[in-house]
Amino acid sequence: MFPAPNHCPVSRRRFLEAGIALAAWPLLGHPTRVLAQAPAKTTKVLDFTTGADVAKAEQEGEVVYYGHDGEAAIAALLEAFRKDFPKIKTNYVRLQTGALYAKITAERSANRYLVDVLQLSDISPAIDFQKKGGYESYLSPEYASYKPAYLSTPAGAFAWVGVTFAGISYNRSKVKPEQAPKAWKDILNPAFKDGISAKLATSGMQHAQWYMLRKLYGNDFWQEFAKQRPRGFDARAQLFDRLAKGDDRVCALAEYGGYTLFKDKGADIEFVAPPDGLPATPAILGVVNRAPHPEAAKLFMDWAVSNRGQSVYQNTPLLLYGSLRNDAPPMLTGKKLSDFKLLFPSDWADFQASHAAFVKEWNGIMGL
Amino acid sequence: MPGRRAWSWRPGPAVVSLFVGGAAVLVVFYPIFYLIQASLSVGDPQARPPEAYGLANFVDLTRYAQIFWNTILVSVVATVFAILLGFVLGWILSRANVPGREALEPLMALPYYVTPLMGALAWSLIGSPSGGFLNQVWRALGGEGHLIDITTPYGIAWVMALFEGSVAFVMIGAVLKSMDPALEEASQMLGAGRLRTMLKITLPLVLPGVLGAAIFVLAEMLGSFSAALVLGLPNRFYVVTTAMYQLVSQYPPRFPQAAAMGVSLFAVMFAMVWIYRRIVSRGSYVTITGKAFRPRAMDVGRLRWALLAVCLVYLFIAVLLPVLTLLYASLQRLATAFPRLDNFTLANYTTALSLDAVRSALANSLILGVATAGLGVLLMGFLSWLIYRSRLPGAGAIEYVLMFPQAVPRLVFAFGMLWAWLVFPLPIYGTLWLLLIAYLTVFLPLGIRTISGVMLQIDRTLEESAQMCGASWGYRLRTVTMPLLRPGLIAAALLLFIASVRELGASILLMGPKAKVITPAIVESWFSTSTEQTAAMALLQTLAVALALILLFAVAKRATQPAGE
Repeated sequence: MFPAPNHCPVSRRRFLEAGIALAAWPLLGHPTRVLAQAPAKTTKVLDFTTGADVAKAEQEGEVVYYGHDGEAAIAALLEAFRKDFPKIKTNYVRLQTGALYAKITAERSANRYLVDVLQLSDISPAIDFQKKGGYESYLSPEYASYKPAYLSTPAGAFAWVGVTFAGISYNRSKVKPEQAPKAWKDILNPAFKDGISAKLATSGMQHAQWYMLRKLYGNDFWQEFAKQRPRGFDARAQLFDRLAKGDDRVCALAEYGGYTLFKDKGADIEFVAPPDGLPATPAILGVVNRAPHPEAAKLFMDWAVSNRGQSVYQNTPLLLYGSLRNDAPPMLTGKKLSDFKLLFPSDWADFQASHAAFVKEWNGIMGL
Repeated sequence: MPGRRAWSWRPGPAVVSLFVGGAAVLVVFYPIFYLIQASLSVGDPQARPPEAYGLANFVDLTRYAQIFWNTILVSVVATVFAILLGFVLGWILSRANVPGREALEPLMALPYYVTPLMGALAWSLIGSPSGGFLNQVWRALGGEGHLIDITTPYGIAWVMALFEGSVAFVMIGAVLKSMDPALEEASQMLGAGRLRTMLKITLPLVLPGVLGAAIFVLAEMLGSFSAALVLGLPNRFYVVTTAMYQLVSQYPPRFPQAAAMGVSLFAVMFAMVWIYRRIVSRGSYVTITGKAFRPRAMDVGRLRWALLAVCLVYLFIAVLLPVLTLLYASLQRLATAFPRLDNFTLANYTTALSLDAVRSALANSLILGVATAGLGVLLMGFLSWLIYRSRLPGAGAIEYVLMFPQAVPRLVFAFGMLWAWLVFPLPIYGTLWLLLIAYLTVFLPLGIRTISGVMLQIDRTLEESAQMCGASWGYRLRTVTMPLLRPGLIAAALLLFIASVRELGASILLMGPKAKVITPAIVESWFSTSTEQTAAMALLQTLAVALALILLFAVAKRATQPAGE
C-alpha cells in the first residue's frame, strides 16, 4: 500500500551487516538482539547514545510527532525533548489510535509525508503499519538496554516505549468495605450493576484486558460482565474523573497511571491489584519512513527510549508509563514495574488476530 | 465612444453566477463524492480507492435502528424546544417594549457563543445523577436518589436546545427585525388581541425565516456531537454522531459504515429542503416594500415585566448558571458542590495557559473565525441572491446541493474532505487554508439560511424599479439588495464567526501539526485530563471569543446605524 522507502537503498555496508547478522544467528540465539545490528556511527549526546547525526538533526530543525496521549501529556513530553535540543522545534498531531492510524494511512496513500515519529497505544495497528512498510528500519543504540521481546520483530521498526497496566479501582465512599472487589471475578458482583465502568473498543488496553481475562476465565466471563450494563469511555482520565465524583462505583479497567493522578488530587478511591495479575499493554514508538526530518526523528527515538526520555514517560503524571529498560529506576510512586504481576499475551499474532472478535463483542457489551 | 463601450467587458449575472455557483457546487460535491464512494466500499475498509463496491454497508445499518431512533428523538425534541424558545425570545425582543431591550438583545444570543461542549460539561456538573451539584445539594438536604438526571434523552435534548439551538433566536430575530410593524399595528387597530396578532400576522409573515431556522436547527441537531458525547455516553445512549465517532476511532476504522450512516441522512435533509421550498413558493412573505418603515416595538403594557422575567430566567439557565458552575469547578482540584479551602487551586489555569499549543490554537481559531465571517458573508450573500433572486436556470438545484453539508455530520464530512484534499494537487493539506475551505463549505447552509430568510422578505419590485431606472445588476446588488439585506448579512457574519471558532467535527481530522484550532483541544482535554482542567480551558476560550465579539459587535453597530445618526 505504501511506496517503498527510496532514501535507504541496500548499500554494500548494509548487505554485509545483514550477512554477518545472519551468520551469527545460531551463535547468538536471539535473531533480534540489537547489539549486533547497531548503527555504524553512534554519538554520545547528553547522557545517551544516538545513531542520528545530531548536527543534521539540528539543521532539520523540527520533529513532527503523531501520538495518542493527551494534549498536555504530549506537550510535556515534547517540551522535555526541546529543552534538551533547543534548536529542534516540535510539532504534533493528537488523535485516538484508530483515528490517528486512519489519518496517517490516508496521508501516505496520497504520498503526503508529514510525520517523523509515530506513537500508538495498540500493538495491532503497529504490526499492520510494519507490514505495510510504514516504519523506517532504525536500530537505536539504546535498544541494548531492552529485552528483544520489547522490540518489533524483526527489530528496528518500533519499540515499547512504556507500559500501562490495569487493575480494579473503586470509590470508597460508594462501595461498602465488605463488597470491595479483590479479584477479577468480583467485577461481576451484581451489586455493581449500573455503576461500573470500563473503556470502549477504541482502547488497546481494553483489548489486552479482554484477551487476558478471557484466557484466564473462559469466553463466558465477558458475557457475564455485559449483564452489569457497564458504561464505556474513551480515556482513563474520564474513568477516574467519574469514579472520583461517585458517578461510577467501580472501574473495571483501572490503569495505574490514572489512579495515581486522581489519588494525588485527593479522590477517595482505592486501587486493587488482583492476585491473578494485571493486564498490560505497551505504547509503541517508531520512526516513520520518508520522514521529513529523518535525523531529528532518529534523535527523538533514541532520546525517548533512553533513560532521559524514559524518566519523562515514567514521571510525568499524565503519562506515567512504566519503563521496560533493564536499568529503569522506580516510578514516581516508588514502585517498579517488576513489583506488579503483569499479564502480557504470549502470542502476539493470536492477540492481533483476536482484534476483530474483541471489537464486535465489546461494542455489544457497551451498547453500541 | 460606442466602440469603447463594446470593449469594456463586464461579466453579466449569468457568467458570475455560473462561476460562483459552479465553484460552490464543486467544493461541496468534491468531498461528497469520496464519502459516497466510501459508503459503497465493501472490501478492506482502509483501502483507498475501494477494492469492491456494494450496498452491504447500507443493509448493515438495520443493526443500528435503535441509534437512529435515539438520534431522531433527541433531535426533534431539541428542535421543537429551540424554535419555541427562539421565536418567543425573538418576538419579545423585536416586537415588545420590554425594559432594557437594547441591552438584552446581544445577551440573548450568548448561549450560542458558549460552545456546546462547555454547555454540556456545565450541565453534567449540575445535573449528573450522582455527582451533579444540584443532586448533591438535594441529598444533603435529606432528599433521596436524584432530583434531576441530565443524562436522559430529554436532558440531552435540553442541553442541545440551549446551546446548539440558540442559533434559532439569531435567525428568527433577524427576520422579525426586518418586518414592517405597520402590519401588526393594523391588526390591532382592527380589534385583534396581541396573541391573535402574533399568531395570525407575525407568525405567518416570518414563516420562511422560522421554517428555515427549524430546518437548519434540526439538521444541526442531527449532527450534534458534544452534548451526546458528554451526557449520552454515561447512560449508554448513542446517537448517530457518537456512534460514528466510535466506528472511525476504533481500529480498524470502519469508515464505510460511518459513511453509510452519514449518507443515509442525506435523504432526511433532501425531504426537509423540499418541504421548505414548497412552503415558501406557495405564498408571499414580503414585508419590505418600497414603502418606508422603521422597526418599532408594540406597547404590551404590564406584560412587559413578565416578558422581561422570561428573558432573565433564560439568561440565568443558559448562560449564568453554566458559566458560574464551570468557573467554580475550574478553581477546584476535584469538583464538588461543597467548598473546601484545601480543594481550591489555580493550577488548572496555569496548566492551560502554559500550553503553547493551546495559545496558538486559540489564535488560529480567531483568525479563521474572522476570515470565515468576512469571506463567507460575501460568498453566501451572493449565493442567496443567486438562488432566490437571479431567476437563472438551475438556481433551485443549487440550493439542494449547497444544503448537503448540513445533512452530513461534520465529522463524516471531514473524512470526505480529508480524502478529497489529500489528493488535490495544491499543497493546502495540513494548513489553515484547508480549514478555511472546510469551514466555508460546511457553513454554507448556515450563511445561506440566515441571509435568505431576510432576502425573501424584500420585495423583488425594489430591484426591478432600479433596473427600470437603468441600473446594472451589479449596481442594483450593491445599492438596493445589499443595504436592505444588512441585518441578515451582519447576523450571518456573527454566526459564521462563532460557528467557526467553536467548530469541532471537521477540525478534528483536518488539523495539521502546524494548523491547530481550539475546540478539539478542549474536547481532547476532557478525554485526557479532568473536568476541572477542561472547564478552565473552555472558560479561557470563551473569554477570548467574548473579547473578539465585543470588537465585532462594535463594528456591526456602526454598520447598522443609519447614515447621519
